[in-house]
Amino acid sequence: MLDAFSRAVVGADAKGACLGSADLASLRQHVADANIRIDATNAIAQHISCIAADAVSGMVCENTGMTQPGGNCYPTRRMAACLRDGEIILRYVSYALLAGDASVLDDRCLNGLKETYDALGVPIKNAVRAVEIMKAATVAIITDTNSGPSAFQGISGNGSDCQGIAAEAASYFDRVISSLS
Amino acid sequence: MKSAVTTVITAADAAGRFPDISDLKAVKASFDRAAARMEAAEKLASGIDNVTADALKAVYSDGKYDIATRDKCARDINHYLRLINYCLIAGSTGPLDEWGIAGVREVFRTLGIPTSAYIEAFSYIRERVCVPRDMDEQAANEFKDLLNYLINALS
Repeated sequence: MLDAFSRAVVGADAKGACLGSADLASLRQHVADANIRIDATNAIAQHISCIAADAVSGMVCENTGMTQPGGNCYPTRRMAACLRDGEIILRYVSYALLAGDASVLDDRCLNGLKETYDALGVPIKNAVRAVEIMKAATVAIITDTNSGPSAFQGISGNGSDCQGIAAEAASYFDRVISSLS
Repeated sequence: MKSAVTTVITAADAAGRFPDISDLKAVKASFDRAAARMEAAEKLASGIDNVTADALKAVYSDGKYDIATRDKCARDINHYLRLINYCLIAGSTGPLDEWGIAGVREVFRTLGIPTSAYIEAFSYIRERVCVPRDMDEQAANEFKDLLNYLINALS
């Protein structure tokens, strides 16, 4: 697993060079934006069921047959597995967002996920739909961290404006979608 | 690769939980120290050849070690300083542990390399760091901590 810092280190080691002033500019920016990243991760962690469970429920509401006998979310054991998976995917997205690097999501969550779903007969189309809803909800919550009814005080004390990092969070969900598709 | 942030994430993942407040505080604490660490890394990167040359001169000054090994010793000191540069960036001893310390005892013992030469070199570098000529006090502390860590690992 890598984060933004160790990603730079691994790149420099491949060249056998030190990390000098030229390489540090982007990392300094990363440090300057640390509060935004931390507050955005916190925003996800405080809205877990609002993002994950609602996304899975929403996906089921669009396909009511799923909870009927013969559907993929029948009986409740399979619905529970679906809810759990939504939360797991969201958890790895939150790690990736905190690290500033997708490797934790790739290595520990997405690697082999599509093959597992195919083997278990999970309908990929519906899984992708649930991830899409999670993406929309996450972007909305992160964008809204510093205003409106969901405003909250981030770890930085006065609440960072996390709007700028919403696109990065969305890119991790896109990564999940493209690896499943 | 172990770094300040990946250590926190690895622990959270092992417990199967989302990053909680204490995780986020740990990450924030490492970001707060990042400016000093980066300064140390930057100064070390720009002066690595001079630092290596100085340490080498000190180690070989009293004729205790065979002068024929000089070039290889210079290469190794440079290598370890580069790993310290990485550790300063990563905010963890991960790069030193994984690329410089794991297996080093076995290598030195098998090849009959005197570790004392390296310990002398890194101790010399540690003593020679001058605040504020070379870097800020906090940056120097981060740098010296890693030198101490390496010296202890080689001892």
